[in-house]
Amino acid sequence: MIAIESLHKRFGEVRAVDGVTFTADDGKVTGLLGPNGAGKTTTLRMLYTLMRPDEGRILVDGIDAVTDPQGARFALGVLPDQSGLYPRLTAREHIEYFGELQGITGADLRNRTDHLLKMLDMTAIADRRVAGFSHGERTKTALARAIVHNPKNVLLDEPTNGLDVMSTRAVRDIIRRLKGEGHTVLFSSHVMQEVSALCDSIVVIARGKIVGSGTPDDLRRQTGHDNLEDAFVALSGLEPEAVS
Amino acid sequence: MTTKSTPMTQTIVVIKKELKDWSRDRRSILTVLMSSLLAPGIIFFMFNSMASRQRSVEDITVPVVGASHAPAFVNWLKQQAGVTIADGPQDPEEAVRSRREDVVVVIDEDFAKNFAASRPAQVRLISDGSSQNARPKIQRVRQMLQRYGGEIGSLRLIARGISPVVAQAVQVEDVEVSSAQQRAAMILGFIPLFVMLSAFTGAMGISTDSTAGERERGSFEALLVNPAPRITIASGKWLAGTITAWATVAITATLLFTMFRYLPLQDLGIRFRLGTPELLGTMAVVLPLAPLIVAIQMYVATFAKSFKEAQSYLSFLMMAQMIPGMMATMNPTGTKAWMYYVPWIGQQTLLTDVLGNKPIAPLVFVVVGVVNVALAVAAVRATAGLLHREKIIFGR
Repeated sequence: MIAIESLHKRFGEVRAVDGVTFTADDGKVTGLLGPNGAGKTTTLRMLYTLMRPDEGRILVDGIDAVTDPQGARFALGVLPDQSGLYPRLTAREHIEYFGELQGITGADLRNRTDHLLKMLDMTAIADRRVAGFSHGERTKTALARAIVHNPKNVLLDEPTNGLDVMSTRAVRDIIRRLKGEGHTVLFSSHVMQEVSALCDSIVVIARGKIVGSGTPDDLRRQTGHDNLEDAFVALSGLEPEAVS
Repeated sequence: MTTKSTPMTQTIVVIKKELKDWSRDRRSILTVLMSSLLAPGIIFFMFNSMASRQRSVEDITVPVVGASHAPAFVNWLKQQAGVTIADGPQDPEEAVRSRREDVVVVIDEDFAKNFAASRPAQVRLISDGSSQNARPKIQRVRQMLQRYGGEIGSLRLIARGISPVVAQAVQVEDVEVSSAQQRAAMILGFIPLFVMLSAFTGAMGISTDSTAGERERGSFEALLVNPAPRITIASGKWLAGTITAWATVAITATLLFTMFRYLPLQDLGIRFRLGTPELLGTMAVVLPLAPLIVAIQMYVATFAKSFKEAQSYLSFLMMAQMIPGMMATMNPTGTKAWMYYVPWIGQQTLLTDVLGNKPIAPLVFVVVGVVNVALAVAAVRATAGLLHREKIIFGR
């Protein structure tokens, strides 16, 4: 479970994140929805402890991620915005490297790696160097290494960005499976369909502020739009001043 | 899931990964091979060309025009070690001008007449002073001619009951400073520099790839989300780099020392020994330096956003490192005690001592090593500090 309270981060004059508060519950998929530049990535970076908030509190399973980032990292699995791979290593070696850094060894590591490779349908390419991988194969490799330690909380920054249909499906399957296993899944997206297809709860963020949250139905009710996309546009203030 | 990761095991995990990654990088492997072959190659080539030039002076063929005018003189020339007499060309001056011959001796037709009358008999030495390569040969022929003249003159004085020493008012002793031996010694002075530079080039692969390379690929973010402290990750990368630097030093030094058995040192009149004790001494000096080189390289490369940027930073660093070495080689006067304790300069000085068979107190080795490792640890800590900066983690 993840709880964020009035998070602030400023870059010079720009308030990138300006008082964000929300929670993401166990066994639920929470979507962080917002247009480009809304503060999604910055929020997630603070959440996964690589960026220090100017103000605010972050609790990951009750651990304060600001004062004890090391402790929080054990409970987090992260697919970051930049998810670079090592071109000369194979997919399996990527997963094993991160597994070993998490302290998993021997048979445990082998079983877990095989399990992930099978789950992501990567067995055929497991021992190939990632240099020649497609975008989808790279994303799956990065996802597999992010959850090798079976973390309670999984954060995904725009996981389906630029993926083809089959890879998008594989990622969605994983998200549903993680939810079924009782994990907390928080992912960001600027694509309405993506969020509506997967999420139990949606947090809409624009210009660093939360502008709406709740289930898809809540959002429709709040805005008076039947169409979720219209609701999103209305909430994020993207709509030009309509002459009604 | 079981979590029994300690900083120790995490460091080893990072070392293993970096070494595996490095060993698959053809570019860094090639760099190591090239750099360790380069130094022995250059020295071997320079020595051989010097020795062959030296040999060309020892075994000379002298074309003589008019040998029949002075058979006794020509016979004397033939008896000189390494001298062969050949028939001179038709037009000696043209032959020298067109560089077909380095030097031609022309004996005057009145040689015998003048010689018998104890008048100076004429021998012309035709040469081209602008030809660098011919100069040692010309000098040698001139010396032979002068010696012959001197010997005959002495005999004539003795025949007249006068000691030849009386005629020698001044005795000139030649002390040649820029001899081949001196130049050879200067080349040998570069050996410490070559061995130390091999540590530098050997480390460059991991130093750049594991820092600037991670930034360029955007893989730092994912790596640092792992519950491994920054110092653990930095240490693993540092130790992996150190291992490759050590391997390169070992290969380079072994090649250099093997090559030395095949150098024509005798031909140059050099008594210089490079054996197992010198090899071990060299290792004892350079191996503790490698961790510091790697740590500094990594610290610098972490500021670079890309592999290429890092490489250009490091080539500046390399040039900066070469300056004290060059100065020590060019100006080998005073070795001051403080020099031993300054990294890089200290190794240079120590290596010169090792190769010159100067006894060194073991304590100096220890102190120099400890100073280096301590500085290296400080640099690794500084690098770990950089890994906390948001600009470094996210800045591409």
